[in-house]
Amino acid sequence: MEIRLDGVRVERGARTVLDVPELVIRSGVVTAILGPNGAGKTTLLRAIAGLDRPAAGSILIGDRPVANGRVSFAFQRAVFVSGTVGQNLQLALRLRGIPSLERDRRVAATAEELGVGHLLGRDVRRLSGGEAQRVNLARALVLDDEVLLLDEPLAGLDAPSRESLLQELPATLRSRPRTTVALVTHDRDEAARLADDVVLLIDGRVHSAGSLQAVFSRPEDAESARFLGWTIVDWEGAVAGIAPGSLAVGTGEVEFSLEVEAIIPAGSRWEAVGRIGGSPARVGGDGPRPQAGPLTVSARRPDLLRLDGGVNVKNTGRTIGNR
Amino acid sequence: MGELFDGLVEALRLIGSGDAELREIAWRTLVVSGSATVLAMLIGVPAGYALARGSFPGRTFALASVNTGMGMPPVVIGLIVWLMLIRSGPFGGLELIYTKQAMVIAQLIIAIPLVVGFTAAAVQALPRELPELLKVLGAGRLRTLWLVAKEARLGLLAAVMAGFGAAVSEVGASLAVGGNLQGDTRVLTTAIVLETSRGQVERAIALGIVLLAMAFAVNLTLTIAQQRNRA
Repeated sequence: MEIRLDGVRVERGARTVLDVPELVIRSGVVTAILGPNGAGKTTLLRAIAGLDRPAAGSILIGDRPVANGRVSFAFQRAVFVSGTVGQNLQLALRLRGIPSLERDRRVAATAEELGVGHLLGRDVRRLSGGEAQRVNLARALVLDDEVLLLDEPLAGLDAPSRESLLQELPATLRSRPRTTVALVTHDRDEAARLADDVVLLIDGRVHSAGSLQAVFSRPEDAESARFLGWTIVDWEGAVAGIAPGSLAVGTGEVEFSLEVEAIIPAGSRWEAVGRIGGSPARVGGDGPRPQAGPLTVSARRPDLLRLDGGVNVKNTGRTIGNR
Repeated sequence: MGELFDGLVEALRLIGSGDAELREIAWRTLVVSGSATVLAMLIGVPAGYALARGSFPGRTFALASVNTGMGMPPVVIGLIVWLMLIRSGPFGGLELIYTKQAMVIAQLIIAIPLVVGFTAAAVQALPRELPELLKVLGAGRLRTLWLVAKEARLGLLAAVMAGFGAAVSEVGASLAVGGNLQGDTRVLTTAIVLETSRGQVERAIALGIVLLAMAFAVNLTLTIAQQRNRA
């Protein structure tokens, strides 16, 4: 079910924390709401869920306004009512008026799918962080709503738990083709691994929105590019971005001087970290390790992208087109 | 020391003999303080929840007022209620002065800040997201309040105990607005004051034992309920 935002503005006191003139989140795909801390990502998700009331604008899910009990929402912090894992999953379904037999069937299936089938009888207070996060997701998924909202589903997990969930989640989410998923993350790798579409949110405004490929390969302004790991440089009198991993040591088509600040050893290779102009940059090499100070690096012309105007030039919001 | 021992023996004899007046005073105490506590819960729990979760102008001031009210001397509350209910007072027409209802009102006002304060603290200790979680799961307002109350039950039962304890143990307010009328508004605390002033120490001790036993029985019941699901 498509989610459509029109002229949505959320305020905290006198401050506008979210300003989205137009945004459509496509039906049946996974959309990552990506951005740095304080960008308004969770606010956007909460507005879609009906937890934060916008000061202006409308949010439609399908052709109807947001209403409680129509969307599933997994909070960043796994919060439960006291009792067992099974009782928590049952409660979610009971509040939706699902009959007992159907509840049992869905709880068993979803718990198995999320790898928490063996935890159904366990008190929620005895769950590890990773287990709690899986149960948190299971509770949202068991409802089988047409809209699933996940706020930082992998936050606070240790590396192995995060990695194992990251491997399983894409298949879990895509096994529900009629479910529209919007998930919040500040991690671009996480977005790339989980999402089909990306909404890049910075300072409460949508800077880019579209397919993962489009947003990641053609950021629309310097701030988006910087967040996506691009190196921002002055090139032929304009602001340009160099795609992550595109810099090479030595001379080439377009040359820059990298002011090396640190060398990170990596087996027989190394990575030089520093700045080009004021912008953070890194380049990998396998020859003799450079010293701190200037290092000539280069990029191919196709890896450079002109970024007109820099910060906040594209504030009119974006519609994710059909692919 | 001998007087205390003699008093205890006589008190136990009185209790054992099933003294009719003693039974009547004890029952009246339970009804008056129990009613005040139930009313304080009905008003204080939603108010405490609103104070804990709401954001409105004057919230901090309201919380500070509640915290002050938790330590308000009952005799002052008795005086204020008395001034409200006497014939020349603003509510004199209700003719409630020197009735059990007046005592319930006074004890209610004593108990409410405790119930509100304990409820607010219990609700604030819960995860902030809990009411929102229940809301998105589809729980209505009443269902949410009920489920949150279940989660906060340890604190809420503490609120009942504090409210009942304050109501049943106060004497100043009950004396002021109830008048300690025999067979009508006399409760355990006011009877103890009267019997002591009359020199009937053993009767006063008997009443004291009944009061303590009653408070203990109520608190034991609530504590069992509170600790049952502690795990």
